[in-house]
Amino acid sequence: MIRKADIILAVCLIAAGLAVSYAFSAGQETGQMAVISVGGREYASYSLLEDQVSTIDQNGHINKITIKGGHISMTFSDCANQNCVRQGEISDPSQSIVCLPNKVVVEIQGGSEEFDAITK
Amino acid sequence: MTNTKTASTAYKVALSAMMAALALIFSYVEAIIPFSFGVPGIKLGIANLVILVSLYVLGGRYTLSINVLRILIAGLLFNGFFGAMYSLAGGILSFFVMLLLQKTRLFSPIGISMAGGVTHNLGQLLVAAAIVENMKLFFYFPVLLFSGMVSGILIGILTHLILRKLPKMGWKHP
Repeated sequence: MIRKADIILAVCLIAAGLAVSYAFSAGQETGQMAVISVGGREYASYSLLEDQVSTIDQNGHINKITIKGGHISMTFSDCANQNCVRQGEISDPSQSIVCLPNKVVVEIQGGSEEFDAITK
Repeated sequence: MTNTKTASTAYKVALSAMMAALALIFSYVEAIIPFSFGVPGIKLGIANLVILVSLYVLGGRYTLSINVLRILIAGLLFNGFFGAMYSLAGGILSFFVMLLLQKTRLFSPIGISMAGGVTHNLGQLLVAAAIVENMKLFFYFPVLLFSGMVSGILIGILTHLILRKLPKMGWKHP
């Protein structure tokens, strides 16, 4: 019931998946800045070195982020699915927290990328 | 009637409506029983079972209408407007990929379903990335790719078993 073409396709897909995850995992270092953007535009950036709680109030939606011990997490969101809150804390530049209903994205910057920028 | 070589248009239309209803029920079952494994976006996609079976039984044109009907109605009933938009992107992309692979006659239902599962997730991810205008969302792609493969293979095996049991109504067995 399984054909040769099925197996070739499966191998290609696995290779593509591994390639993408490798591309994103390059530079596994803890970042120093958390950049918050709302609807594609940069909203604010926070240092991960200072513990703090901040409220993002944009377009009638409220999200709260908490920075603690170099990690950032979305601790409150008024969205329906709460995927962003359940995702927990992140600290790596390859990670991000996305709250799709409220269009809020938390990204980590810094680490190796920033170091390259300084040495230039 | 069971001995006719080719099914009449009325038969096909009636069967399409039944298939759409069946797919809708599967969407409902999936909406009330969350097969969520702690990661957003991962689901079994049992409605795709109906789509795959009807791709073989009814052909591309009927299946496309079943698929679009199912997504629009399920979206309005269970997922809301945004949910329907994601499903529509995933559903349409995966449908055309599956149709293309079926036309080549090289793949079994398992391979076709696997490709469908992956491209369904890819379509949803593309819409999500467009909405938040952030391509970094693709760091999530490997997870969705592998989960799409696994659920696609499971659905493909089921499709294979169902197609074997169905009486032949003038369609080619894979």
